[in-house]
Amino acid sequence: MHIPDGFISPQTYLPAYALAAGLWGYAARRVHRQLDADTLPFVAAYTALAFVLMMVALPLPGGTTAHAAGIGLLAVCFGGWMAFLAISLVLAMQALLFGDGGITALPINALAMGLVGSFCALAAWKLLTRLHETLALFLAGWLSIVVPAALVAVVLGMQPAIAHDAQGAPLFFPFGLSITLPAVVLPHVLVGIAEGVLTVLGYRYLTRLRSRLAA
Amino acid sequence: MNRDRLLLCLYLAGILAATLVHDPVWLGAGLALVLLLAGGDALRLLRRALLAILAFNAIISLSYALMAWWQDISPWLTLVRLNLRVLLLTSLTFLFIARANLFRALDFSKGLTYVLGLAYSQALTFRRAHEDFRLALASRSLRRPSLMDRYRASAAAASWYLEKSLHAANQSAQALRSRGFFHD
Amino acid sequence: MTERRYRAVKNSLIPTPPFLKGGRGGISTPSATPAEQNPPSPPLRKGGAPVIQAAGITHRYGAKEVLADIGFSIHPGEKVVLLGCNGSGKSTLLKILDGLIAPTAGQFTYDGESITPARLKHPALHHRFRREVALLFQNPDAMLFNPTVYDEIAFGPRQMGLTDLDQRVRHWAAQVGVTAHLERPPFSLSGGEKQKVCLAALLALEPKVLLLDEPTAALDPRSTGWLVDFLSGLGVTTLITTHNLSLAPELGSRALVLGEDHRLIHDGDIHGLLGNMELLAAANLVHTHSHRHGGVEHRHSHVHDWQ
Repeated sequence: MHIPDGFISPQTYLPAYALAAGLWGYAARRVHRQLDADTLPFVAAYTALAFVLMMVALPLPGGTTAHAAGIGLLAVCFGGWMAFLAISLVLAMQALLFGDGGITALPINALAMGLVGSFCALAAWKLLTRLHETLALFLAGWLSIVVPAALVAVVLGMQPAIAHDAQGAPLFFPFGLSITLPAVVLPHVLVGIAEGVLTVLGYRYLTRLRSRLAA
Repeated sequence: MNRDRLLLCLYLAGILAATLVHDPVWLGAGLALVLLLAGGDALRLLRRALLAILAFNAIISLSYALMAWWQDISPWLTLVRLNLRVLLLTSLTFLFIARANLFRALDFSKGLTYVLGLAYSQALTFRRAHEDFRLALASRSLRRPSLMDRYRASAAAASWYLEKSLHAANQSAQALRSRGFFHD
Repeated sequence: MTERRYRAVKNSLIPTPPFLKGGRGGISTPSATPAEQNPPSPPLRKGGAPVIQAAGITHRYGAKEVLADIGFSIHPGEKVVLLGCNGSGKSTLLKILDGLIAPTAGQFTYDGESITPARLKHPALHHRFRREVALLFQNPDAMLFNPTVYDEIAFGPRQMGLTDLDQRVRHWAAQVGVTAHLERPPFSLSGGEKQKVCLAALLALEPKVLLLDEPTAALDPRSTGWLVDFLSGLGVTTLITTHNLSLAPELGSRALVLGEDHRLIHDGDIHGLLGNMELLAAANLVHTHSHRHGGVEHRHSHVHDWQ
C-alpha cells in the first residue's frame, strides 16, 4: 500500500492534507482529553509501536511473508483516534527520517489506513466481540487491511481522470479504476486473512500475559 | 527562522513545484539542480533513489507500455514524465534528509519535537529488537518453520512490542513529570 | 553435485565428543543411546582439530565498523570468555558465529566446514549446524514464542523427530529448575526464569557448542551463581560474552578481549589478563577514579562491576 511520491496529483494530495490536518487537530484534542498530561509520551510510544508492528512478518503459506500493518491491534488496544495519530506520525517518520514512502502520498495513507482502517477495525470489534471474540478480532484485522486498500485503489484509479494533459495522457498514476481495484484489492483480501490471524493471536498473547501478570 | 526550518520550507515548495510542472524538460532540469546541490554525493544519491523506486516504477512502466501498445498509443511522453518526476521527488527527499535536521526544523513546537524525538529513538530500539526476534527464530529452526510457528513467533513479537511500548510510555510520562516538562 | 556435497557433510561428522561430563548427576538425557551414556572422557583441550576457526572477520553496518580483522580458534571442550565493553561488537560476533549474519569480510569454519548464511541454505548442513551450535540471545524474550514452557523446550527436539521427546523435555526442565512452570506461558515468567527456559530449550538439542550472549546481564546475584555452577558442569564447548570482569574467570579459563577499536587485543589465559590493567583500561573494562582513604586521595584503575 506504500505509494511513492509522483503518482498522486496535487489536486488530490492538497485537499487530502487539508482534510487530514483538521482531523489530526481533532484527534489530538480527543486523545489529550483522555490522557491529559500523559498525552505526549503515550503518543510517542504508540508511534514507535505502530512503526515496529509494520515490520512484523505476516506469514503467508509457502514460506513467503508480507508486512503486517498492526492497525487492527492498535485500534482495538488503544482506540481509533490514538491509532490514527500514531499511524500518521509513523508515515511522517518513514517519509522524512527513514526515506521510505512518500510525502505526497502521506495524507492519503494516513486517512485510508490510520483513520478509516482503524475505525473499521474498531467497529467490527465493538459490534461483534460479545457475539464471538475471535471472529471480531479476525474481522478487525481483515477490515483494517482490505478497506484502506480499496480506498487507496480508488484514489489511484481516479488519477487519470483528475490529471491528464491536452491529449488525454495521464500525468500521474496512469491506470484507471478498472485496473487498480482488482490489482490492489484482490491481493489484500488474502493478506488481510493473514493480518486477521495475527490480530487474533497477538491480542490473545497480550491478554494472557496481562492476566498472568495481574494474578 | 533557523536554517533547518528554511530547508524544510524550500523542500516542501520544491515538492509542490515538481508536481505542478509537467514538461519533461523542466522535470529533468529539476533533477539536474538537485544533483548539483548534492555536489560530491550526487552519484550516491542518484543510485539510492533509483534503487528505492526501481520495483514499483518498473511494474507500473512495463504494464503501461503494454497497455499503450495494446491501445496503439505512444507511451513515451507519459513514461519519461512519470519516471523523471518520481526520481526527482525521491532524490529531493533524500537530499533533504541528508542535509536538514528535521528535529530542529520543527522546534517551534516543543510537543512535536518531543513526540518525534522519543518515537524515533524508541523506533530504532524496536528495530534492533525486531532483528533479534527474526534471527532467534532462524537460529532455533532446524528446518523451515511451519506456518503456525511463524505465526506464533510474529504474534509473540507483536505482543512484546505492545507490552514494551506501554511500559515505555509510563516511564517517559514519569520522567516528564520529574523534569517539570509541563511547568516551564 | 549437491548430492555429493551432502554426503561430504555427513562424512565430515567427527566422532561425537562427549556432550556432557559426568558428575553433577550426569547431565545428559537419560534415554540417550548407550554409547552416549558411557563415562565420557575429559573434554579435549588443544587436542584435535579446532571446532570453531575464525579468520579475518570484519563487519560493518553501513560505514560503521563493528568488528575488525578478528581471528581465533576454539577447540572442543574449551570454555572461552569473550570480553568487551558495550558496543565493542560482541553480539555481532556471536551472530556471525551462529551463521545468522554474513560478515563483511573474512570467514569462519565450524568443524572444518565453512559457514555462511548462503551455505546454510543447504538443508543437510543447516540441520546439522543448527542442531550442534546454539545461541542464547541477550534478550530472552526474543527467543520465546511458544504457548507454554513445555512447547518452548520441545520446539527444537520436535524438529529432530525423536521418540523420547517428553522425557527429554522433562529432563532439561528439571535440570534448569523450571518443572513447576511447564504449563505456563513463557511470557509470564520472571527474567531469570525466562533465561532458564531459553537455556533448557537450547540444551534439549544437546548441542556441541553453546554461544551465550551476556547471560548474566539480567540476572540477580543468586541466579548468576546458579548459572555459573550450571555452566561449569556442562561438558560442552562454550563461548560466553560478558562485560563483567569479576565474573569472567568463573565462566571460562581462556579470554578473548575485544578492544574499543573492535579488534581482538588479547587471546589467552584469563588469569594473566586480570593483572594487565593497561590492557583492560584500553578495552574500557576498568576505570580510573579518585579515592579517599583516611584523608589521602589517590587514583588507580579498578573494577566495581557487580552488574
